Amino acid sequence: MAPAPNNSSGNAPREEAPVKVPAKDLKKKDEKKDEDLSEEDLALKQQLELYVERVQDPNPGLQKAALESMRHEIRSSTSSMTSVPKPLKFLRPHYGTLKAYYETMAESDLKKYLADILSVLALTMSAEGERESLKYRLLGSEGDIGSWGHEYVRNLAGEIAQEYSKRQGEETPFDDLVVLVQQIVAFHMKHNAEPEAVDLLMEVECLDMLREHVDSTNFKRTCLYLTSAARYLPGPDDISVLEIAYTIYLKFGEYANALQIALFLDNMQHVKQIFTSCDDILRKKQFCYILARHGITFELDEEIVSDDGDREVLQEIINNTKLSEGYLSLARDIEVMEPKSPEDIYKAHLLDGRASASASVDSARQNLSATFVNAFVNAGFGQDKLMTVQSDSSSGGGSSGNWLFKNKEHGKASAAASLGMILLWDVDSGLSQIDKYFHGTDNHVLAGALLAVGIVNCNIKNECDPALALLGDYVDKEDASVRIGAIMGLGLTYAGTQNEQICAKLSPILSDGKASLDVIAFTAISLGLVYVGSCNEEVAQSIIYALMDRSESELGEPLARLLPLGLGLLYLGKQDAVEATAEVSKTFNEKIQKHCDMTLLSCAYAGTGNVLKVQNLLGHCAQHLEKGETHQGPAVLGIALVAMAEELGLDMAIRSLEHLLQYGEQNIRRAVPLALGLLCISNPKVNVMDTLSRLSHDTDSEVAMAAVISLGLIGAGTNNARIAGMLRNLSSYYYKDASLLFCVRIAQGLVHMGKGLLTLNPYHSERFLLSPTALAGIVTMLYACLDMKAIILGKYHYVLYFLVLAMQPRMLLTVDENLRPLSVPVRVGQAVDVVGQAGRPKTITGFQTHSTPVLLAAGDRAELATEKYIPLSPILEGFVILKENPDYTEDN
Amino acid sequence: MLKVSVKWQKEVFPDVEINTSLPPYVFKCQLFDLTGVPPERQKIMVKGGLLKDDADWKTVGIKQGQKLMMMGTADEIVKAPEKGPVFVEDLPEEEQAIAVGHSAGLFNLGNTCYMNSTVQCLHSVPELKSALLQYLPSVRRSDLDQSSHTLTVATRDLFCELDKTAKPVAPLQFWMSLRKKYPQFGQLHNGAFMQQDAEECWTQLLYTLSQSLPSSDASENPDTVRALFGIELVSRIHCQESGEENSELESVYSLKCHISQEVNHLHEGLKYGLKSELEKASPLFGRSAIYIKESCVNGLPRYLTIQFVRFFWKRESNQKAKILRKVDYPLELDIYDICSADLQKKLEAPRQFLRDKESKKLGLKVAEKIIPAPKDDDEKMTDAEGSSNTNRWSSAASSNDEDAQLTGVYDLVAVLTHKGRSADSGHYVAWVKQESGKWIEYDDDNPIPQRAEDIVKLSGGGDWHMAYICMYKARAVGM
Repeated sequence: MAPAPNNSSGNAPREEAPVKVPAKDLKKKDEKKDEDLSEEDLALKQQLELYVERVQDPNPGLQKAALESMRHEIRSSTSSMTSVPKPLKFLRPHYGTLKAYYETMAESDLKKYLADILSVLALTMSAEGERESLKYRLLGSEGDIGSWGHEYVRNLAGEIAQEYSKRQGEETPFDDLVVLVQQIVAFHMKHNAEPEAVDLLMEVECLDMLREHVDSTNFKRTCLYLTSAARYLPGPDDISVLEIAYTIYLKFGEYANALQIALFLDNMQHVKQIFTSCDDILRKKQFCYILARHGITFELDEEIVSDDGDREVLQEIINNTKLSEGYLSLARDIEVMEPKSPEDIYKAHLLDGRASASASVDSARQNLSATFVNAFVNAGFGQDKLMTVQSDSSSGGGSSGNWLFKNKEHGKASAAASLGMILLWDVDSGLSQIDKYFHGTDNHVLAGALLAVGIVNCNIKNECDPALALLGDYVDKEDASVRIGAIMGLGLTYAGTQNEQICAKLSPILSDGKASLDVIAFTAISLGLVYVGSCNEEVAQSIIYALMDRSESELGEPLARLLPLGLGLLYLGKQDAVEATAEVSKTFNEKIQKHCDMTLLSCAYAGTGNVLKVQNLLGHCAQHLEKGETHQGPAVLGIALVAMAEELGLDMAIRSLEHLLQYGEQNIRRAVPLALGLLCISNPKVNVMDTLSRLSHDTDSEVAMAAVISLGLIGAGTNNARIAGMLRNLSSYYYKDASLLFCVRIAQGLVHMGKGLLTLNPYHSERFLLSPTALAGIVTMLYACLDMKAIILGKYHYVLYFLVLAMQPRMLLTVDENLRPLSVPVRVGQAVDVVGQAGRPKTITGFQTHSTPVLLAAGDRAELATEKYIPLSPILEGFVILKENPDYTEDN
Repeated sequence: MLKVSVKWQKEVFPDVEINTSLPPYVFKCQLFDLTGVPPERQKIMVKGGLLKDDADWKTVGIKQGQKLMMMGTADEIVKAPEKGPVFVEDLPEEEQAIAVGHSAGLFNLGNTCYMNSTVQCLHSVPELKSALLQYLPSVRRSDLDQSSHTLTVATRDLFCELDKTAKPVAPLQFWMSLRKKYPQFGQLHNGAFMQQDAEECWTQLLYTLSQSLPSSDASENPDTVRALFGIELVSRIHCQESGEENSELESVYSLKCHISQEVNHLHEGLKYGLKSELEKASPLFGRSAIYIKESCVNGLPRYLTIQFVRFFWKRESNQKAKILRKVDYPLELDIYDICSADLQKKLEAPRQFLRDKESKKLGLKVAEKIIPAPKDDDEKMTDAEGSSNTNRWSSAASSNDEDAQLTGVYDLVAVLTHKGRSADSGHYVAWVKQESGKWIEYDDDNPIPQRAEDIVKLSGGGDWHMAYICMYKARAVGM
């Protein structure tokens, strides 16, 4: 508690009366106490009684003197949390008298003085809900509010909030309150009580006032409180709160923070404003790194950056061209460049004699899973032991042969595409390695090569648009698999760009009567990805028409369910904007209508933490349906999608999902593991791990498969030893069940994704920002998992590559002013929530000191361990530019 | 004339001149000089697509100083191998068995685990398999009764079927012929077939086969089964009272490991089992007297079967009760010390040879390395593998009979275990070493891979599976 302004150093009160005691008791005690009182106290008591009498004296002079003395006594008394200041205590019995007398007094300054005193006395005396303190304060002299102490101000603030809501109901004006609020806010802001000030302003709905009161000492804490409070506010209040935080940051030149908020609001105007307000090129470079991590398309124009050379450098950063380089330098630093084979991941030698018995005959299923494991594990490293080695061995006719052709039919597509994963982000040399697969006659290989081009370019933009140039022509080819390869490749590369050329290429396919259902489904997804969160009317229309054109039997196919998802992606996180489309969806064939409804709802509120929507979705899951309805799966995923926004909601959702497991129907139980996987993606929480481990032995094989895949998802890129062990045991438990074994292998690949350097978490910047493309990628893959048998275990296993959209290095790479890696010591530890805490609390706990580049686990936060440099981003994640600290002096 | 820069892989070629009056193919040829990528393999990205060989530069809209990106390599085009790989999923069912690496399981037809485990153990003897294969179902020898013939044929068919498929087999035909031949196995209890003693099944089946299968080479051995499993014992029977002594020869199919308080190891049990007291009429006294019979092995079998005498008739409960005592058995058994003196002498040379070979393998006697011994190596291979495939063995068995000398050292190849408290209840399981050296637990229709170190843990002392019959395979050396 903040110290009261006028601390007198009197002896601390000995007898402590509880603040609230029933009146009767109090009297008795008072009587008794009269005898126990020390002389000093007795004197004070008598003194005060005298004042009370004098106040009622007709002589104004005496009255004034009495009031002044009384006021002096009150102000100079000490108070603590547990005791009422003595003068207040002794005045308690006289509160009634004084009140009565006040009413009889004529208007005068004296009356106002008395009102002040009454207002303070009401602090302890006034009955609950009477708000007398406020009442007398308004009648009083309006003097310095802080002079009566913190407790008084706090109490007053509370009464104002109550009064405000009452008056709002009655629609009476509250100008008088605003004046008071001004005073209180000014007081709070001056005395390190920013949260109280913000709370009060939010209660009385005039946050704008905050702007006048923030200064360089308190704006950081204020904004921190604002941004974290915004998570729990209903719309549109949260937006306005964040807008305030944004303007404050802007006002104090904290552009990087302002940019975070602008990105959260998805407000490109703001982003532009930040670029134009900031004139430091180095900081602008940092902004570009933040934009690149968020995966957003942002074209710099001359207005933003006037110098051509600078603009080119900045645009290059936004285009993520250096991502591959940074990632590889991290890998070299951690010494994991050595390629790993699937066997290195399976670690079959640790299992009891269950190693697959045959080496003589290849199993297509096992080779396919090895292809995926190889792709995920060596993602982005540019070298592996299956796909990239063949150029050497083909001449010598090595025994390993050509891995590609060890896959069967559509498996070859995934195998060729895995090359894209291995060469991820390395557009320049990646494309030329893929080139040789373009010339063959095998359509599956060609499809895979097209997809590989898409994967390599994922999250990277290139001014030459190689993906469009290469894939564009194949979109209209005859063969369905080639088309899908090209379409999916375009979707991955141009996700989130809202590129009109892509729209022009893909939209006609939706209305193509001859196109097969799978082609249409993948087109819808790709369009959804390209226009993710854009609410684009045109695209929405074309998908809606495509849905309406489907025959009833087609709508029953699992693949048809990707069409509503494509539609949903358009509105990802856009809340109300979905309503018009949701209305239209009510007219769909009833086979898909509910499914569509759930998909749209859950996508639109994804990442908002909207509790009402979670309840709504839970309601849908509580129904026990007749057979054949499929909408509960998306509803369960929807719960996870909506609730994943913040930690509290996330924990609640995990518990609700437990209930669904116990009481839900089979189709719900199948989706629950996936929802858990989404909630804790790349964040292996022990309780979720245990639940999934239990479910991975479920008697329903679909539940078990979903649980196994989800084990992979929660451990994705963590190398978590516990999950790795679980999966290894599962691989021997299910060694006979080809489908489950396939899932186990995929999960093993996910856990060791990028040899532990990657994350799938769509949230970044200390869990504040949600990358829409990353989420879209994950959601698409999860929807495909809702019907494992038809899609992933069928011939569309390459949907697993949608995860590439979410793959990001989980690193902190510090660079110097010339963007070259710079190694500095950093402390990495568990992040601590410091919102609303007094002083300068530690932001991390249990930290260790490393030198960059360094890996960050889920919930980790880093801070520089040296004063020599100043980071240009408040959040140490991804690429961070360090500037030399001019004030730094070398310690001797 | 325009100048552009072209990016290819990680290289950038600045200032490449374009003559806009000539078709792009010329430009591509220029690039061929720079990169070595043939023009038809070049992909040059321009706005909105790829640069075509015959495109018009004006419509392409190239600007001075523009950056172009070229993709393409001179690498060999990836071609599918002429012969694609064969996938397990495409194979017919029979061939899948080979891919799995072990033979199929057997369905339990109602308390028939004793039979299943017996069959699985015997199925692991390749010589027996090949002998059965030579048995012609159409011809029945006159001295053989019909039911023995059908049982032999059923065994033959069942063994074949087990090798063919990876899916569990239902041994219906075999089950029926077994019951026909030995009606005691058809005993019913509460309308269901009763659990039987696996040892009985084993003995009876071998007996039938010994009747039906003729000798592989007619000259010496009476029949195949005895050649494989027969143990020749020489016993000295003497009476302490009279001091009379005589010896007799007999042939048995298995050694018994008797379990008493002192027996902790298979060896002790075997020795204990080879010594017995019997009462018989003494011609000297004209009454019965106590004789002591001490036996030792005089002829070694190729497959040594050892039965743990775990069951004894308990009068009170009227059932075969089980001794749960833990009796260890090794993966490698040496029975030299229970052999007769004659046999021991015979074994000396092969054993020395075996020892030399093993120490050589361990690299102890470096000096002998100089002697080139290609044949040794060959033999070592077969030894290390434990067994070889059927055909090789059958030819080897006949022709190399003299070469391959038994050494008295045996390797464990199959264990039949029992779990439960009495012979007629509980569960029988077979643990069989595969040709690949891996162990498979055949729990009826479910074959489960196991580790060798877990096999010796089946030695009893609890309620877990415990060894009832062990089958050892002789380690032979060619000299």
